Amino acid sequence: MTNMKRTLALLALSTLSLAAAQKTVTVGWSGAITGPTSDAGINYGAGAEDYCKYASAAGLVPGYKLNCIARDDQYINANTQRNFEDYVGNMGAPLFLGYSTGATLQLKPTIQETKTPSIMGTFHIGNIDSPNGQYVFLPISSYSEQVVSLLEYIAKKDRKAKIALVVNPSPFGRAPVDDARKAAARLGLTIVDVQEVGANNLDNTALLKRFEAAGIQYVVNQNTAGPVANILKDAQRLNLLGKIQFMGAHYTGGEDLTRLAGSAAKDFIWATSYYLSDEATQPGMILVKKIGAQFGRSAATIQSVHYTSGMTASAIAVEAIRRAAAKGAVTNLSVYDALLTFNGSKAFDPGFTVSPVIFTKTDHVGAEGLRYLQADATGNFKAISSPFKSNLFRLVHPPQ
Amino acid sequence: MSLLFQLLAAGVVTGCIYALAALGFVLIYKSSRVINFAHGQLIAVGAFIALALTQRGLNFWLSALIAMTLTFFLGVVIERFFLRRMVGQPIISVIMVTIGLASVLDGLMYLTPYASSNNSYPVNFTGSISFAGISLSSAELFAVAATLIFLGGFTYFFNKSTMGVSMRAVSDDQMAAMSVGTSVQRVFALAWAAAGLSAAAAGLILGLKSGLSLAGLAGIGLKVFPVVILGGLDSVLGAVVGGIIIGIVENLASGYLDTLVPGGGTGAVLPFAVLLVVLLVKPYGLFGTKEIERV
Repeated sequence: MTNMKRTLALLALSTLSLAAAQKTVTVGWSGAITGPTSDAGINYGAGAEDYCKYASAAGLVPGYKLNCIARDDQYINANTQRNFEDYVGNMGAPLFLGYSTGATLQLKPTIQETKTPSIMGTFHIGNIDSPNGQYVFLPISSYSEQVVSLLEYIAKKDRKAKIALVVNPSPFGRAPVDDARKAAARLGLTIVDVQEVGANNLDNTALLKRFEAAGIQYVVNQNTAGPVANILKDAQRLNLLGKIQFMGAHYTGGEDLTRLAGSAAKDFIWATSYYLSDEATQPGMILVKKIGAQFGRSAATIQSVHYTSGMTASAIAVEAIRRAAAKGAVTNLSVYDALLTFNGSKAFDPGFTVSPVIFTKTDHVGAEGLRYLQADATGNFKAISSPFKSNLFRLVHPPQ
Repeated sequence: MSLLFQLLAAGVVTGCIYALAALGFVLIYKSSRVINFAHGQLIAVGAFIALALTQRGLNFWLSALIAMTLTFFLGVVIERFFLRRMVGQPIISVIMVTIGLASVLDGLMYLTPYASSNNSYPVNFTGSISFAGISLSSAELFAVAATLIFLGGFTYFFNKSTMGVSMRAVSDDQMAAMSVGTSVQRVFALAWAAAGLSAAAAGLILGLKSGLSLAGLAGIGLKVFPVVILGGLDSVLGAVVGGIIIGIVENLASGYLDTLVPGGGTGAVLPFAVLLVVLLVKPYGLFGTKEIERV
């Protein structure tokens, strides 16, 4: 009995001393859980938080406990700024996980000043371009690269195709336009029209009729799923779905588009770097489902590509912290240095993206592999290409 | 020419949706002189109630009926607990209450699984009809029919029913209406209830046409401001005519002018230009009551 008491006391003591020895590092995400784009943000934030908690519980960073926080900024830049200041200034977070384009562009000087490595849910190429892009990282290929890759797809089908770009009236939407024009010129394609369409696009008859009159065969969208779904539904009503091929970058497609556009989503071509939930044999997707179930997430959340996307950002952060911890102290600068080791034999493959995450000092785009996916009659997106990189994009937009 | 007809048809459909969404504004302003900044949220609440019911297996039409009934009573509750206390208070205070109400309703909707997700009603409303070069979807035809039904119903109500006449009396002069025994409180409650009902109808149609997202549904509540100002803040007919004018101007501008402007977007701007011109000539809108203050 005395032996047992002694053993229990020793066990308790060792557990306490272990806990005391463990240091805590904050991994904070700020994004739209409510407000505009919260349809994507709520799942992105859930993915970022869940992966971080999973990593902490699984001891993926030996000697460190992760303080995982996902905060709603309502898509308001000032709130993002406050969250950044709280995470980095008050909690000593060595890195920052962000979400929206506007907030990232506004935060860039502060990120540069505080030398805080930041991994964003917005894939705007301007986030990592100079000035002030040194500490910002994109988890996957940029919107610009996604759009250029879609132009390459079109060029393989028809060198003389007439194309229209439909973009969101915001920096997020306009990001790829210049690079798309340069790429189209190199490919011999004609971008006939660039139109801005935002949320509340109740009727797109005029837009589509103009496209029809101009003989446009391909419409490339850089937008969110809502406006694209409305365009597709109107195209279906006007019998244009067979005549015009609609396609889009990462935030246009996926289950959100199918849910909104229904049968009008059929044949939509989507460029993204992520595996999808129904690719059940992919190790990353098995992990997504396991973590989702562990944290009691709904089937819709687990199925969302944005949940996977949030996990990817979090996985990159955790791996960078792990590498920094293995070398010594976890600070903003050691995490930044750790991110720059994500290349060669040390490239990081979380299994959520179709290619590994690779960063160098001059290349802050992580998983650059893309695939074309196309919606079938049931609205499920199926890969119609193997993973590839757009070499043309590097020609039209060299790293800055 | 077929493009013109198609754009006009699309404009009428869009205008009818605007008109239906604007009706609630008009009903409340007409009786109580309150501009309700939470109207978009009422539209969203109605749409999401119907979505919740249809997702639980209830028939869409029955869900729609229940949603309209519930938002009818929500209107009564809002008036009873928030607006009634504000009678006689400065107009800016009343406006602030409706802005606060919009935040409260937004917050409540974010507690449900619907506000931060994209959804559609699980009903097959995908058919369309084509004639004379014009294509209209079932949802669009339904939008036009619903607007006409609501317009007819409210016109009849205001002209023929005792309560409708009471509402007009209160709108004209609250003190005089009270002096002849009209219950102003009851009139206000009914105005909010009717606004809730028409908001739900607008939400249902928007949901059928454009899917269900809080930003889209609540956003339409503000997008119809030019409609009610153009038509006249206190005119049901004005809401419909204003809605159709704005809808047509939007579509014609998008169809014919967007090619001349890089990036397009004239459809979003031109209605405001038309609004300014009309207000220069008719400051109370096309059908608004001209108020003459005598000193």
